[in-house]
Amino acid sequence: MTDSVPKRSGLNSLFQPRAKGVLLVSLALLIIAVVAVPWPLQPSAPTTRRFTMVSRQFEFEPNTIQVNQGDTVIITLTADDVVHGFFLDGYGVKMRVEPGQSQTVQFVADKSGKFRYRCSVSCGTMHPFMLGELVVGPNTTFGRAVALIGVVAIGVTVYLWKFPLREPGESTTEVRSKK
Amino acid sequence: MIDQSERLAIIALVLILIGLPIAIFGYQYGLRPALAGVRTIDIIAAAPEDGGFQPDAIEVQKGETVRLRFSVPDVTHGVAIAGLGVDLGHIDPGQVKEVEVTFDQPGKVTFYCNAWCSPNHWRMRGTITIIDPADPDAHRRIEAAPDPVIESLIEREMDIDAPHDAAISPNEPVSAAEGGPLVENYRADLPVDFFDPLWLQRQSPAEAFSVLKETLPNLTDAQRWNIIAHLWTDSLAESELTWAQTEYIKNCAACHGETGNGDGPAAAAINAQLATTAMNNDKVASFAPASPTMGATTEIYYAKLRRGGMGTSMPGFGDIFDTEETWRLAHYIWRLTFAPAKPSPQ
Ligand code: HEC
Ligand SMILES: [Cu+2]
Ligand SMILES: [Cu+2]
Repeated sequence: MTDSVPKRSGLNSLFQPRAKGVLLVSLALLIIAVVAVPWPLQPSAPTTRRFTMVSRQFEFEPNTIQVNQGDTVIITLTADDVVHGFFLDGYGVKMRVEPGQSQTVQFVADKSGKFRYRCSVSCGTMHPFMLGELVVGPNTTFGRAVALIGVVAIGVTVYLWKFPLREPGESTTEVRSKK
Repeated sequence: MIDQSERLAIIALVLILIGLPIAIFGYQYGLRPALAGVRTIDIIAAAPEDGGFQPDAIEVQKGETVRLRFSVPDVTHGVAIAGLGVDLGHIDPGQVKEVEVTFDQPGKVTFYCNAWCSPNHWRMRGTITIIDPADPDAHRRIEAAPDPVIESLIEREMDIDAPHDAAISPNEPVSAAEGGPLVENYRADLPVDFFDPLWLQRQSPAEAFSVLKETLPNLTDAQRWNIIAHLWTDSLAESELTWAQTEYIKNCAACHGETGNGDGPAAAAINAQLATTAMNNDKVASFAPASPTMGATTEIYYAKLRRGGMGTSMPGFGDIFDTEETWRLAHYIWRLTFAPAKPSPQ
């Protein structure tokens, strides 16, 4: 720790007292970028994804489907026992199926996020629990979280390395003068 | 002694206790029907396990107009009345649908569920008997009339339920579309029978194939099958085809499958019982171009449709479709066999 003082004073203007502000601001910008800038990586170009889904008392199979934003989604729904419905929150996609007569809807998954689909025709006691989920990715939340932690960790390390807290006099004046 | 105000209170109480029910029931059962002018019959439509239609036997007078009001407690049902062109469509739980019908002819009509609602869905039927006060036996006479086609089958000792495996069936895809031009080309060489609707409906494709093999030795087997496919699918006009398609989907596809392959959602359960019962013919029929379909005839289809299977899961539709409609469905089955609808382009 003691030898970090001469190191700092020996560096160029980037780490001069004024540079502390520059470091903080650029760190903040980096964090904002990681959190808010649209993820540049699209795992694949938009394609058409087809799903064959079965509805029965009281479930959808599959009950989770995942697509990428921009994909064209085609769902063919069949019913196994009684008449069921399908309503996709957020997209407003709606259909009704009867055993023996499959139904198909097509839409473009242009909104990202998680969307519930539910049975929209009362089909028995457990009907309210007949649910499923459409996940429109790419799932950037995890990637962003990792990147955020990384950026913050590096930022804190650099900050502490260059402006150690061990010199109270100097750092407090710095902070005060900033304010 | 009761004083004045107490007496008033008692009178008011008695008026409420007696008057209110009288007013309510009087309105419901007296005033309202009187104002409406027609008899309203409330029918609960529940899955067969839970009682089916309640009531399921209704009597009306000839010429009477009634309002049938259907409500549904469990799952979605559909209601149609055979022969009257009434189809109320789906009725969801909590929904009420009604229809006003005037019955002009003595006889019996069947109302039935036309949305698959349970493994016993097809049992969900009810009857309306129309009685002619001037001729109280009229409806019974009409009911008892035998079906001439089934009579004729019995006369010829044809067993509707006999297995009809075919000795020969196509081993490559058949095209009714390619059969059309072939029939035109060989019109002069084809036996005259091939243009006789009665002969056609009594022949199986396999039998007709054998005839073709002798009369047109120069053709390939594929060409012969294409000719048969064309002749067996040529009899329905466009509007009849649409009708049959809709009715097939509503009434048959749950068992026989959307494309007729015998793989509807209800088929698995029926076929699963095969192993556990003595019945070995209760396997949902597939209409794919193979045996035993190649050994079937249109008139056998007709008879099976009208009468139903003998102890099998195949319901009888004689009360639901009239003879002409039954022929249409019987012919439509050959469409499923030989000219399946192209999957709609996506
Ligand atoms: C509940 C299930 C079920 C429904 C609904 C049903 N079928 Fe069937 N069907 C069967 C079974 C099982 C068989 C085979 C047993 C038999 O032939 O009796 C069969 C046999 C048939 C056959 C005879 C096939 C042959 O090769 O001899 C025809 C024709 C037929 N069905 C037509 C229809 C039509 C048309 C409808 C709709 C109007 C219909 N079925 C509705 C179960 C069903
Ligand atoms: Cu439901
Ligand atoms: Cu039903």
